[in-house]
Amino acid sequence: MIRRYAALIRNAWLVDLQYRASIVLWLLWGVTEPAIALGIWWAIAGDGSVAGYARADFARYFFAVMLINQLTIAWDSWYLDRWIREGDLNYRLARPLHPAHEAVAENIAYKARTASVILVVWLLVAAAWPAVRLPFDPGRWAITALAVLLAAAMRFFISFTTGLLAFWTTRATAIMELHAGVSLFLAGRIAPLALLPPAVAGVAGALWFRSMLAFPVDVLTGAVHGTDAVLRGLAWQAVWLGVWIAAYRLAWSRGIRRYGAVGG
Amino acid sequence: MPSIVTAERLSKTFQVKVRDPGLRGALRALFRPRYRDVHAVRDVTFRLEPGEIVAFLGPNGAGKTTTLKMLAGLLYPTNGRVEVAGFVPWTGGPPFKRRIALVLGNRQQLVWDLPPEETFLLNRAIYDIPEADYRERLAELVALLELGDVLQKPVRQLSLGERMKCELTASLLHRPPLLFLDEPTLGLDVTAQEAIRRFLIAYRERHGATVLLTSHYMQDVTALASRVLMINRGRLLYDGALEALVARIARTKRIELVLGGGGGDGNRVTAEALAAFGEVKSFRFPNAVLEVRREDAPATSARLLAAFPVADLSIEDPPIEEVIRLAFARGVEEDE
Repeated sequence: MIRRYAALIRNAWLVDLQYRASIVLWLLWGVTEPAIALGIWWAIAGDGSVAGYARADFARYFFAVMLINQLTIAWDSWYLDRWIREGDLNYRLARPLHPAHEAVAENIAYKARTASVILVVWLLVAAAWPAVRLPFDPGRWAITALAVLLAAAMRFFISFTTGLLAFWTTRATAIMELHAGVSLFLAGRIAPLALLPPAVAGVAGALWFRSMLAFPVDVLTGAVHGTDAVLRGLAWQAVWLGVWIAAYRLAWSRGIRRYGAVGG
Repeated sequence: MPSIVTAERLSKTFQVKVRDPGLRGALRALFRPRYRDVHAVRDVTFRLEPGEIVAFLGPNGAGKTTTLKMLAGLLYPTNGRVEVAGFVPWTGGPPFKRRIALVLGNRQQLVWDLPPEETFLLNRAIYDIPEADYRERLAELVALLELGDVLQKPVRQLSLGERMKCELTASLLHRPPLLFLDEPTLGLDVTAQEAIRRFLIAYRERHGATVLLTSHYMQDVTALASRVLMINRGRLLYDGALEALVARIARTKRIELVLGGGGGDGNRVTAEALAAFGEVKSFRFPNAVLEVRREDAPATSARLLAAFPVADLSIEDPPIEEVIRLAFARGVEEDE
């Protein structure tokens, strides 16, 4: 299986190299959104703080969002939707490798590429600007890595499962857009959850949105600390990951039986 | 030897949403969707023996591709039993998929932006092909398909014919004993079509592979297939040799004449004179084609030879396209 993944990732990178301009565009997109959010909160915080967040806290928060969002984001619903509607799923189903493996490999390739660039950018900025430096804390980084892995896995299954809705509807990507719109607020992409009205933050915590992004970000910045809080967050991540894996299995087994528009 | 493909009473019914035109229809479909059953394949039964090349014939929407996809395990049949290479396709998993190749003329697995060799390498990994086997098979396929300098060019720069050759290469590297080819010559020029046909014949001879193909080009069928399966509106109409189908369907024969003499206009043979012997399909002195009833062909030929100065005469079946067209128009059974 390692050889297969190596070959899939290699091909993904080779294709990337053909489209250098689009890599830069994706990267810009990944940087712009948190940069704008940071700019706004920077102005609002002024010399004081908002709900305990001073300028430096916002800076660290949004640098962490930038990195961890790129490490956990999944585009699979768009691929799946196209594979299903345009028939590219056919030859993938005829191969002795589940199409999900190709999607996972594609994710690893994408994340390694964009996150490594963002990490370099962060290091360069941190060298000049102490505010965005994180304390040296290998233990916290290890927990962050675990939280990022759980979040990435969950977002993969959310995206893949939503893409599978293309077996039933032509609007699968619209559903994913809607989810992305909601997660803009509920996952902590434009503001730390601590700044949201308690009811909204409560919804984000009760559903899977906090586990998607805000929790691993808060672990990295230190906003979530203490064994209890960390373990509870990881446990919720594991629960929601389990729920989405179950949803994926259901959608796959039902969808594949429905597959096949009339043709030929 | 046991059959490599067995399909018994295979059926596939799709549910298709029906919608009345206009806004009102769209709204009604939103709240109370109505569905209509489309019977893409109905009660189809046949077997394939190892090493056979069999062609699926039928107009668009007849159920050819749907049947092929069920045999390849992509679609779940609504009813019926299928066994392919010893497996039930949709539960066979990887061991089954290693035994088949599925080539779709209109959907390709080649990575568009990379040279075809990258797709081959990917398939080497996906199918766990040992390095030595990979190199040997690739060399063989490259030689048979005359791929030489194509391997390093990005796929998007290849011609349609080159792409199909590469598609076949990618699909055959794991050397499957069973090939499902859906329109493998679709859109190709005559030279490329012939190259693909020559390749399939050579490949079958070397490796004894079984081939089930669909095609719109009758030359594919006449050059490749020892047997045809004719399908229309989801039903199997005919299963057997192509010649037998022609004999059954074609009630006529064609007499092709090359007339001699010709001298002055006075004694030249005219279309009117020929019309007394049969239906004149074409006439352009000195060539003429007459269509006569099958059983009358020998006697009419003799009479023609006696009546006119004939340089050459041959009796042919009508063109295969016409036979097929007739078969679909009239149905095979009623002609028995």
